[in-house]
Amino acid sequence: MKSLLKGYGAPLTAFFFAAALIWGLLLIILPQLTMLERAMTAPKRALDSSVAISLSRDAETCISVLETYEAAPPPQTSSFGMAVPSASGMSVPSSSGMAVPSASGTARDGALRPYILQCDRANTHVSLVRDRGEASAYLDEIYGLPALAVSDRDPIDAQKRSAAEIADIARALYGDLKAQEALANPYTLANFGWLVAARMIPLSAEQKIIEDSKPSKRIMELVGLRFEEDGKTYERIGLITLARTLVFAIAATGLALILCYPMAYKVALATPPERAVWLFLGLIIPYAIVELMRVYAWTVIIDNIGLLNGLLQRLHVIGEPVQFKRFPGTVFVVIVYTYVLFMVFPIYNVMSTLDRNQIEAAKDLGASTWRVHWRIIIPHSKPGIAVGTIATFMLAAGAFSVPRIISRGLQAEWFSQTIYNKFFESENSNVGAAYSFAYTVVCFVLVGLFMWLMRTRLKDFARVQ
Amino acid sequence: MRGNDVRLDNMSITYPNGFRAVQPTDLTVQAGEFFSILGPSGCGKTTILRAVSGFIEPSGGRVLIGGEDMAGIGPNVRPTALIFQNLALFPLMKIWENVAFGLEARGMSKRARRDRAEKLLDLVALTDQAGKTPGELSGGQRQRVAIARALAVEPAVLLLDEPLSALDLKLRQHMRAELRAIQRQTGVTFIYITHDQGEALTMSDRIAVMNEGRIEQVGTGDEIYSAPETAFAASFVGEVNRIDGRVVSVAGDLAEIDTALGRFRGRNPRDLRAGSPAMLFVRPEAMRLDCAENGLVARLLRRDLEGAFLNLYFDAQRVELAVHVTNDGQTQIPSGEAAEIGFQAANAVILPAGPLARTGQELAAQ
Repeated sequence: MKSLLKGYGAPLTAFFFAAALIWGLLLIILPQLTMLERAMTAPKRALDSSVAISLSRDAETCISVLETYEAAPPPQTSSFGMAVPSASGMSVPSSSGMAVPSASGTARDGALRPYILQCDRANTHVSLVRDRGEASAYLDEIYGLPALAVSDRDPIDAQKRSAAEIADIARALYGDLKAQEALANPYTLANFGWLVAARMIPLSAEQKIIEDSKPSKRIMELVGLRFEEDGKTYERIGLITLARTLVFAIAATGLALILCYPMAYKVALATPPERAVWLFLGLIIPYAIVELMRVYAWTVIIDNIGLLNGLLQRLHVIGEPVQFKRFPGTVFVVIVYTYVLFMVFPIYNVMSTLDRNQIEAAKDLGASTWRVHWRIIIPHSKPGIAVGTIATFMLAAGAFSVPRIISRGLQAEWFSQTIYNKFFESENSNVGAAYSFAYTVVCFVLVGLFMWLMRTRLKDFARVQ
Repeated sequence: MRGNDVRLDNMSITYPNGFRAVQPTDLTVQAGEFFSILGPSGCGKTTILRAVSGFIEPSGGRVLIGGEDMAGIGPNVRPTALIFQNLALFPLMKIWENVAFGLEARGMSKRARRDRAEKLLDLVALTDQAGKTPGELSGGQRQRVAIARALAVEPAVLLLDEPLSALDLKLRQHMRAELRAIQRQTGVTFIYITHDQGEALTMSDRIAVMNEGRIEQVGTGDEIYSAPETAFAASFVGEVNRIDGRVVSVAGDLAEIDTALGRFRGRNPRDLRAGSPAMLFVRPEAMRLDCAENGLVARLLRRDLEGAFLNLYFDAQRVELAVHVTNDGQTQIPSGEAAEIGFQAANAVILPAGPLARTGQELAAQ
């Protein structure tokens, strides 16, 4: 601290510390903590108290609609149910809430009132939101309420009475539950449960035979990502996407490493410096293009009427265009292409600091080319390889635009796409936060494992540049 | 370990950019010899070394080691080991791993490698440092590791590329003696590249003086110093006084040269004829203050005390002449305007005029 002050002066030192603080706290720790909190917060609507309050609101609305109906029973033509302002409809998680089309104002046979959505829903036997996999629960059963409903066959008065009773019970329950929930731990791991939840896959008998014979499905069965129960097939979709993405990302990183090591070696050590400049330029120029443009360039190549299909058809290798965008391999190749540079440069940078005399000394002592690489060049380049591998892996694992643009939704999702969908296109963005946080942790663990495998001490990273 | 002889047979090296680094050269280094190649930087001595070790293929002629033509044989197969100027130790390996690297490349088991490395480290007195890394060692210790590493592969020829140039003076002097002792002990042929004449003169059995890709003279240290054969060899090795002129007469072993300072007689090893442009060279320690033979009149410029010696600098018609006298209190140092100095004809050598080594002044101006 003192030497810093002496060396750089107070303003610059203050700037250093501010920058370090902003970097560490604001950009790394805070977002992760926020994400964790969101991930562990159950969505409001899922709480039992919300179910109780909607029930009481439904019952109250039912009463007021019934009163309106009594005052002036309309001719049986207009769509009565639709016109009713629904105070609670939006916040009820039950499947019947939004999706049920209110048939019409016409009363059913034997009914003493037309169809009223809220009266229909004013039923204590309402299902509660529970985690997937658990047996479904009902409000009346869990909290010991009488099974009450507003039957349309009762006289209007009786309907109003039972609705009022339901409203009272529900409101009282709401008060109790609210108090309990306020005391209860506000955090839950339920959102993470979605990640491991299994979903039933509807399959016809023929489809099932085809699916069962696929090696990938067999592996899934082996590790428990796919199972059968009562003749139905279940898959843990979230975990499958996660595992698949990680496998692809690791494979892409491996391929990038295999491609980049010789490239970096060629430019850094096997070319006279004056000619290496041109090779270096050749490496950089493709990356002076915006990433999206680079990815779009691939769509021109792999399209059904693209360059590759055109060429293959011209050469009469294929008759019909091949739908490359449906092959997972295409996404894989484009990911490698897009992020290969992040592998080349760290390796190149470290490698170029190697004293060429060491290579000659090793050769002079009788080492074969292979041994020179294994014993001299690779150990020296280790920090660069580690940085390049980590950078490429993280970019590949988090790739969003490449799978989206290349596959155009015709392939299984990349996990980053799943996270996006959970965040912005699902009913519960907290699940997105849970997915995102879990992914961060998994990647972090993988990177740590990799560093341990490489025996890369943290201080080695200082040697990179 | 047994040394092998090295022969360059009309070998020349031209770089791809057209620069001829080594003119066609014949040279024989005897088996078990400590042979130095001495020359200023850029004279092609390192290029010769790299050709012997196999990193460069000669553009013409042949390299023979132990009578075997080395054409097409890579550096990893040749019976040579090279010690680099910066040593090129492997910084990520332990000391014993460095020493055993050549054995590892030969497929020796780890145990045998370790034993052999211990023995070699014993030879260079570094047994207790085996587990350290090169970064933890001092310059002299690193030097010795490099030697042990090179000797581990039992080379017939050890090539050394100015390995002492990075060391302190004291350490350098000590390492000279150590290198010489190791060479005697092992019997390996040493080819030692240096621009430091002191190193070459103290250590070598024989020396080749090189200039601009050409070997000027090959001989023992005594021969090179006392009987130089070219103007370059005379001016590069040791301090020397030079007087330019033209041969006027030849009598037996001696010749007479006519210069701006008068006529002088000296040995004539190159059989110069009367009329040839020539240069007369005399060592400062062969100059006498009280010698009538080859006398000349000069003015004392300055007097430098160097402990055991007194270095006197005279000016004789714009020619600077150095005279070294023993500082024994007996010698009368001339004072005032003019003094008479001279030298014996047997201590002077008359050589054909030719390129000279650059003086310190010229090097500094570069």
